[in-house]
Amino acid sequence: MRKQAMEIVQQEKVGKDIYRLTLAGGLAAVPGQFVQVGVSSTADPLLKRPFSIHYCNGSRLVLLYQVTGRGTNLLAAKKEGEILEVTGPLGRGFPLPEEGRAVVVAGGMGAAPLYYLLHALKSAGRDVTFLYGARTAAALVLQEQYRSLVRHYAAATDDGSFGRQGPVTELLQEELSRRPGVVFACGPEPMLRGAAAIAAGFNSRCFVSLEARMACGVGACLGCVIPGADGRYRRVCADGPVFAAEEVFPA
Amino acid sequence: MTVDLSVKIGKLILKNPVMPASGCFGYGEEYARFFNLSRLGAIVVKGTTMRPRPGNKPPRIAETPAGILNAIGLQNPGAEEARLRIGQLAGYGIPVIVNVAGNSKEEYLQVIQTLEKEEAASAYEINVSCPNIKAGGLSFGTDPGVIYELVSLLRAATKKTLIVKLSPNVTDITPLARAAEDAGADALSLINTLVGTAIDIQKRRPLLGNVTGGLSGPAVKPVALHFVWQVSDAVKLPVIGMGGISSAEDAVEFLLAGASAVAIGTANFVNPLVCPEVIDGIAAYLQENNFNSVGEIIGLAKKGKAG
Repeated sequence: MRKQAMEIVQQEKVGKDIYRLTLAGGLAAVPGQFVQVGVSSTADPLLKRPFSIHYCNGSRLVLLYQVTGRGTNLLAAKKEGEILEVTGPLGRGFPLPEEGRAVVVAGGMGAAPLYYLLHALKSAGRDVTFLYGARTAAALVLQEQYRSLVRHYAAATDDGSFGRQGPVTELLQEELSRRPGVVFACGPEPMLRGAAAIAAGFNSRCFVSLEARMACGVGACLGCVIPGADGRYRRVCADGPVFAAEEVFPA
Repeated sequence: MTVDLSVKIGKLILKNPVMPASGCFGYGEEYARFFNLSRLGAIVVKGTTMRPRPGNKPPRIAETPAGILNAIGLQNPGAEEARLRIGQLAGYGIPVIVNVAGNSKEEYLQVIQTLEKEEAASAYEINVSCPNIKAGGLSFGTDPGVIYELVSLLRAATKKTLIVKLSPNVTDITPLARAAEDAGADALSLINTLVGTAIDIQKRRPLLGNVTGGLSGPAVKPVALHFVWQVSDAVKLPVIGMGGISSAEDAVEFLLAGASAVAIGTANFVNPLVCPEVIDGIAAYLQENNFNSVGEIIGLAKKGKAG
């Protein structure tokens, strides 16, 4: 883990308010880990912003992000050739199962870190299903990129503009009733709770990646805590962002 | 030529004047993954109470212009567990300063009694100024009589270096500084955070679960510098200056204002390497300006003020 200056080699708009940012420089991360990125060279805004790792290897780091506020607006304005300060990799990622099938479930921008996970599962020769949900077809960005990495693929949208109309968790219910597997999920919290409950119903292990506003990102400030299933606080940045579902969602 | 960066704080000799600020560095282990902690002048660990404290309900952090508001609420594992973690820092060979907090004078005393046997705990920083706990903390920190009684009680319990951390949330800080000095404190540290709040206008609710929090970061630096200037004039004790320090230039300002050492808080969150960078930067400043030691610039900005 370290702090490094990384040059922007590509900033592409891939959807409405959604960008794919490619930085030059290696990072040795496991899927589900994140980085803190400096979006301003001044003291305002002060804090770095946490972003999940969409993909990385020995020579580049890719982030997929949606413009939602001041920090991401500043990031989206950055041009190729500019230098960003990046700290990472940070946090605990997804545990890769020794064997068996994997069912990977994404809700909206929650798909971002799962791309790197799908890569790792493919390299490990796993049989993988990817279930991709979003509000509308337009928000299902980079579908071909995800589809190319998996054997089974299905999508769902809230408005029915693409794939199944309804929550992606319905697809998970059907998938697990056909073929059991370990569940990996990232997305809005209600979706994660739903996925965890469905997985529990099939006695499937379930790992969820959570999101929080952070200050330090390394576990020191205790600013990003959430209550665990036992009522004790967990640091999303250092104890997570990936948790076993039963650790953070009461049964 | 190398410059002498060492400073003396009470019975402690620090090899350089830079330490992390309490609450911004945990018990050190997170930042040990970024740099060798033995580079620091001292380590200051998190505010420690007798019993474990779960801390405040989230959200605990809100970003504000050039700063952050925090309301962590002194989440800590309690003095017994803290003692074990402090013991693990012994190998770095630098002083460990333990920030001590409590809801009553007795609790402060119990924490010190628990840590007294731990050799690695070199000094205590008495937190009479945390704005985020309901009883104690800030209420201790605003009454000179209470500070005098508390520090006298703790002074009788330990020969280790006692540092009193003062609150900026007062109309006049000097009686508080003098009360700590009169009661036998070895040094003062300031400032703690400034009380503040922020509101989410879409939800029409406070941004912090605790409603109020403590403001830190570059936004508070001029306020902190003023207090350091004022207090280092008012007492003979060495002052550890803190509040918004993010660079060697900031640290040098505090030294010139009369601080004998500096602590770095919020900046660690932005740049995990800020402490070693500031140490190197202070050395470079001294060399470039032909000073032999950091002692030569402590309070130097005051010497020319009449002119």
